[in-house]
Amino acid sequence: MLLLCGTFAFCACQKDRVPSKDATLDGQTVDVSFISTSAQKLFVLNEGGMGSNNSTLDFLRFKDGKFVNGAFKKMNPDVATGLGDVGNDIAIHGEEAWIVVNNSGIVEVISAYDETEIAAIPVPTPRNIAFDNNYAYVTSWAGAFINYGADYSVMDFKNPKGQVYRINLTTKKVEGSVEVGYQPEGIAYYDGKLYVANSGGIASQLPPTYSYDNTVSIINSASFKVEDTVEVQVNLKNVYSDGKGNIYVTSLGNYYDIHSGLYVVFASAASSQKTGHIADYVSVSAPCGDTVYCIGTDSEFDWSGTPHTYSAWSVTGRTKKALSWTITEATPYGLGVLDADTYFVGDAGDYFNPGTVTCYYKGAKRWSVTAGVCPGHFALY
Amino acid sequence: MAQEADTLMAAQVYSVQVYPVTRAVEEAFLPALVTAPTQVADVLRRFTGVQVKDYGGVGGLKTVNVRSLGSEHVGIFLDGIQIDNAQNMQVDLGRFSVDGLEAVSLYNGQKSLRLQSAKEYATGAAVYLRTEAPRENGLRLRLRAGSFGTVNPSVRWNRELGKVQLRVGAEFTASNGKYKYPYFDTTLVRENGDISSLRLETQLFGKTRGGQWQTHLYSYGSERGFPGPVIRRATGFPFSAERQADQDLFFQGSWQQDWSGRYATALRFKYANNYTHYNTHPEKNPMALPYDLHFRQQSAYLSLAQSYVLMDPWSVDLSTDYQYNALDSDVGQFVRPRRNTLTAALASRLAWPGFRLAAHLVYQGTWDQFDERQAGGWSRENAFRGVWMPSFSIFYAPWRWLEADAFVKRSYRLPSFNDLYYSLMGNSSLEAEQAFQTGLDLRMKWGTGPWKESLRLSPYYNRVSNKIVAIPTSSQFRWTMLNLGLVDVTGLDARSETTWEQGDWALTIVLRYSLQQALDHSTPGSQIWGNQTPYVPLHSGSIDLQMGWRDWTLAWNTSLCGERWSRSAHTADYYLAPWSLSDASLSYHWKELCAGIHLRNIFNQHYALVQGYPMPGFNGMVSLEYNW
Repeated sequence: MLLLCGTFAFCACQKDRVPSKDATLDGQTVDVSFISTSAQKLFVLNEGGMGSNNSTLDFLRFKDGKFVNGAFKKMNPDVATGLGDVGNDIAIHGEEAWIVVNNSGIVEVISAYDETEIAAIPVPTPRNIAFDNNYAYVTSWAGAFINYGADYSVMDFKNPKGQVYRINLTTKKVEGSVEVGYQPEGIAYYDGKLYVANSGGIASQLPPTYSYDNTVSIINSASFKVEDTVEVQVNLKNVYSDGKGNIYVTSLGNYYDIHSGLYVVFASAASSQKTGHIADYVSVSAPCGDTVYCIGTDSEFDWSGTPHTYSAWSVTGRTKKALSWTITEATPYGLGVLDADTYFVGDAGDYFNPGTVTCYYKGAKRWSVTAGVCPGHFALY
Repeated sequence: MAQEADTLMAAQVYSVQVYPVTRAVEEAFLPALVTAPTQVADVLRRFTGVQVKDYGGVGGLKTVNVRSLGSEHVGIFLDGIQIDNAQNMQVDLGRFSVDGLEAVSLYNGQKSLRLQSAKEYATGAAVYLRTEAPRENGLRLRLRAGSFGTVNPSVRWNRELGKVQLRVGAEFTASNGKYKYPYFDTTLVRENGDISSLRLETQLFGKTRGGQWQTHLYSYGSERGFPGPVIRRATGFPFSAERQADQDLFFQGSWQQDWSGRYATALRFKYANNYTHYNTHPEKNPMALPYDLHFRQQSAYLSLAQSYVLMDPWSVDLSTDYQYNALDSDVGQFVRPRRNTLTAALASRLAWPGFRLAAHLVYQGTWDQFDERQAGGWSRENAFRGVWMPSFSIFYAPWRWLEADAFVKRSYRLPSFNDLYYSLMGNSSLEAEQAFQTGLDLRMKWGTGPWKESLRLSPYYNRVSNKIVAIPTSSQFRWTMLNLGLVDVTGLDARSETTWEQGDWALTIVLRYSLQQALDHSTPGSQIWGNQTPYVPLHSGSIDLQMGWRDWTLAWNTSLCGERWSRSAHTADYYLAPWSLSDASLSYHWKELCAGIHLRNIFNQHYALVQGYPMPGFNGMVSLEYNW
């Protein structure tokens, strides 16, 4: 009892000095002495397994080197459902962290400061998120329903195209959607336009054509209409803007004769010469400043179970640079880059049990901690 | 009971060849069960060493796993002919009604019965479903109705047509599947879990001089919804609108003939055609991925078993089975796999009344064919798989009160069509998964006057190696299947049965206990190495009480299951608390009429056998049966 009181007093005291309510969350202690950053936290979103409702949010607190597991549940005990089923994307906007919970149909907005819930916004099968000054834009596979609201108007439900929903940043309400390609994935905003990678991951399995999408849809954010569609490569995945007019797009390839790779879309070029190929082999990727970092393997079509050897490279502008990074993971699942020397790799392990997050500094492994199931997405606050 | 039959048959020549070398580890005679299970899964879940995976409701998938071998190693045989599924190697026991069945039995080692088919020797564990023997002319009507809008009328008609016995049966089942379940901090009602199904069957039984034959035409059609797992879902979006329609049809038959007393044969055949239509209905559910898929699986089976008594009591058997499986679908990049399987089994038996010894050697060769498809990942190099499966059984009854049997066995389960050829997943170079098993059954019985007591103790050890597991590749969207897993299983099954009969009174008490340690030994050094594998409780058991007085029978069952984890990583998120479940039944016989009331989950326990798939709370059913 005495101990409890003591703890409570300590908490109360902490609260006064450090208002963030999550400061008392304890976690695995790691060495952060070599990390130089002005950021407070590195969020790690663990996807969980589909149908298992076990997506979790972890974070690394730079101040005291604590890696906290399951922060959403700890800070929101009244949200009994937890974060939900398949956390597919996380992005920071101002003081808010926006988490896209795919199979829950929810875009969860929390305080990036203390992880408390601000809003849970329903969006059908949401995938990825980007922002401009007024809206959050969320890609969605649920193209059978063009209008969001009480009355869905059903379009082609045999092989529906996807949508981009926009959410008012102030009201946290959905304000319409626009149709893009098949199974849109990544999305990025640059200079009044949204760039959407269409994968066709489901369309590739559906009759009659059984084909992947290979386009980037370009949406004018002011009119919220698709103003151009550019062919890039099959099965597109992530989109990053370098803020200088280069839009980088990754392709997963077709797992047979088209390798995964990184492509670029030039924001200012005429439609006919809008794209270029940078390099093959991208398993995971992450942006940092104006640079995109990629980890890939040239044995990606080997399904025999032989461990793959991964190598890393980066792209700035149109220049590819090989990196002397060590990758010890057997199944790298997520990448977070803090600066050119410091990066984090999420390892999904067997995709069923909790995975790990490993910190590397100047090419060497520094430490590894247990995360949640499928640690796939990083965001810096 | 079986012991008496043994004595009865002793007068005939070579009679000791008529019974299996080892006894069934568990056997349930269905007409004697007043607890009125409607599905085979309900009968099996009480057996020692058995785990039933049940996704809840009448329409939920139910599979059976024996001593942690994995459900793919458990062969389900209907009148000696396997109910197989090359697509995923799993038989949904929820689809098999107990209506028309006489007994359900489980064998862990080799049953090793004369004139067995080769496939019976080639499974890790075997569940036998035996249809009722032909009966005198008559009609039986049964109506059951209960919770969740369940109605279950069935009719069975037996008719003697000259030397041939005909039986026609029909059964209809409908249930709305709506039951309350805990949804995090609130309570919801399961939606889209309804089912309707119709089973029609015709059986013919006949006798020849020194032999007998039977045929069975069976059709099962069903239409059901899948309610989906319990997950966080935005208000306004349904959990699931998935529907599946099935049309299963098979025609099977067997002819057993004793030619000379020394030489006997059994001929078996089967043709099966299973059609499935799966639709996620994206027009009804914005959260659904737009799948609308069709599958058709066909199989043909022919088996010849021969048995020859070399020198009583020594006999040898040679059984040869051929099976063809084909799967077609409109799934993207589907390669339409076809499989030819040849299974041959040689068995040698020495069988005295109190001592039996048997050795078996099985060879199984499969040859797969499939279409070339662009997506790749499949090579033709490993289309042929051949495995040898040796096994030994011994039975010894030194005294009247003690019997022991023991077995050692190696068996394989083939990779399924899904393991090998499914789009973005299959790996055609997989090897068969291997199971090594050894076990001992000790059975004791004694009794005085109205009391009878029997006790069985069964320690065992299993090792499942080359276990087929799904592993991600360099891309999270392209997985592969590999022979990576290794599980060591050590366990003890115990069963005690006490009966007391005096005057109008009869009492039976059955106690069961299972200790099962199933440890993951796949990857040394991994975080989960040495942990108990998912869903296997270390301790489980049950208490069965049956009390009869004149025409009344009262039955009580309590099942107990210890703590489990749904992952090999034993963290709080994946912890499944222990549960106990109690059912009760009361039935009354009056001339040709039989009426019963059955209460399940009496204490309204909330539990789940599979995490995310809650089971129903308290529910009940009444039944009425009339025999002409």
